[in-house]
Amino acid sequence: MAEKFINARGLQCPGPIVELFKVAKAADSGDIITIEVTDCGFSKDINAWCKKTGNELVSINEIDGIIHAVIKKS
Amino acid sequence: MEKQRLVVIGAVAAGTKAASKAMRENPNLDVKIFTKEEHISYAGCGLPYYIGGVIKEKNELVVRTPEIFKREQDIDIFIKHEVTKIDTNAKKVYVTNIDTQEQLEYGYDKLVMATGASPIKPPLENIKLKNIFTLRSVADAFEIRDLVDAGKVQKAVVVGGGFIGLEVAENLRHRDVDVTLIELAPHVLPPFDEEIALLAQAHMQEKGVNIVTGEKVLGFEGKDEFVSKVKSTAGDFEADIVVLSIGVRPNVKLAVDADIELGTTGAIKVDEYMQTSVKDVFAVGDCAENINLVTNQPAWYPMGSTSNKTGRIAGYNVVNSDKMDSLQGVLGTTIVKLFDMNAAKTGLSERDARRAGMNIETILVPATDKAHYYPGNKAIITKLIVEKASHKILGAEIIGSGVVDKPIDIIATAMTLNAKLEDLTKLDLAYAPPFSMAMSSTIMAANVMLNKLNNKIDTITATDLQDKLKYNQVNIVDVREEEECFISSIPGSLNIPMNALERRSSELHKDKETVILVCKVGKRAFLAYLKLKQQGFENIKVLEGGINAYPYRVE
Repeated sequence: MAEKFINARGLQCPGPIVELFKVAKAADSGDIITIEVTDCGFSKDINAWCKKTGNELVSINEIDGIIHAVIKKS
Repeated sequence: MEKQRLVVIGAVAAGTKAASKAMRENPNLDVKIFTKEEHISYAGCGLPYYIGGVIKEKNELVVRTPEIFKREQDIDIFIKHEVTKIDTNAKKVYVTNIDTQEQLEYGYDKLVMATGASPIKPPLENIKLKNIFTLRSVADAFEIRDLVDAGKVQKAVVVGGGFIGLEVAENLRHRDVDVTLIELAPHVLPPFDEEIALLAQAHMQEKGVNIVTGEKVLGFEGKDEFVSKVKSTAGDFEADIVVLSIGVRPNVKLAVDADIELGTTGAIKVDEYMQTSVKDVFAVGDCAENINLVTNQPAWYPMGSTSNKTGRIAGYNVVNSDKMDSLQGVLGTTIVKLFDMNAAKTGLSERDARRAGMNIETILVPATDKAHYYPGNKAIITKLIVEKASHKILGAEIIGSGVVDKPIDIIATAMTLNAKLEDLTKLDLAYAPPFSMAMSSTIMAANVMLNKLNNKIDTITATDLQDKLKYNQVNIVDVREEEECFISSIPGSLNIPMNALERRSSELHKDKETVILVCKVGKRAFLAYLKLKQQGFENIKVLEGGINAYPYRVE
């Protein structure tokens, strides 16, 4: 199991979600992906994305305007 | 010289405000306030937050006590004293002391009616069961909070999706209560336009409130005198408590009995000086009618902000009858916080304006509350409603997780000063990244509206698109990236990413109406619009607010 980190801070929509797609596509089942985003629309996107792909949203929180999301690939 | 006597009926916001202002204008005044309630000068709008525990202490709800009024202002407040009759000829009020049943009479030189409004309790089956509440008085809030604190409330049903109903629903959720909200109208927040209200509704649902709209409560069932079930056209819902927030009616019985005229709204008719149809009798606060500043027609806004203003004006005028102050009208500006979302409104909604037969244009523009690169910036959506010919601003609605009170107050201020759309675009507003966008959301919305009015861009609202979709009359082109469309898109839309548009525009029929989608700010859709125009497409529209503000079904 690998752990991957995406720094998508400062990227505007659709940057973060496009980055996440790329990394998730290359990842194996069980891999952990952490992404950090400053775009405020991301929370809604990530929830919907996980629901659709079946990947698990392990945690999501926002500190000082930065959204940290941890995803486990299904 | 004998002291001038002022009698005030009602001791919440407007009554105490009128009394205090009058006393400041003439310290020799003899002021008596009568109220049938036990609590005075309380924060009625704060009651839902007491239930939720945001406001922790009972004392925080009561702004001031009779003792303070006596000590600091020499105003006599008689609690649990009900005025039963006004004799406007003899200039007397008849009062019953509720505890002792003693009958009293007091003469007045000036009378201020601040009798307030009462929650509507329709005659439904078993409505007298225990634990069916309205939320208007401090006592209501104490009772509900005590039940929740005692762990007796697992399930609650809130009837009515106006401000109070939604705030109660939120606060009960904060206490881990399972909440169902039933609204008769097709959406919550009935005064707002549909596409705005549905965004608030979706947010409430995301936060775990079960919302049922377009359905009617039929009655209640109980066990041992306590409510246990709500019966509705959508089926039965179990409930340990029920909170009715269907609306309020002005308390006008005293006025009617005294032949004081009512207005068309059913509230007490007053002129701009807060004078009723009877000499030396004023009416203020929720029992009094207002004038809508936009339409100049009677309206009724039972709100704390308006109550305080009308109370102050009447207080001034009872003393200064030779140089009276006036209130020309109000806009009905309101604001509400629902979990992480804020919604505000001023003036007319699109629905109000169309109903009044006005020729209007509307626009919906997403933006952020701070610079888009500044951490913690949040989305807000501004809807403007203007009169087509004059460009007069008729109303606005703003919703989002960001700051909405500032922009709505800017617009309310502009409207009060009779501003036109062009004036909004030129306001010199405070800017630095932590506070605003360089072109604030309000200025941006006004500019897009001007573009629309000047035919620089053609747009379609989500509501109109939804109608067209029913009849399959329209091509929807989503110009976002494939990944974004995967997350959510409008059913039946065709995804052509922005950078492929030139290459693939032949897939579109030039004769069929084409709609272009956006992501967040609509920038890409506007660019796509210009590109397709150059290629000879005539019938193109940009979806206002893009997918983020699209409140209908996505897949």
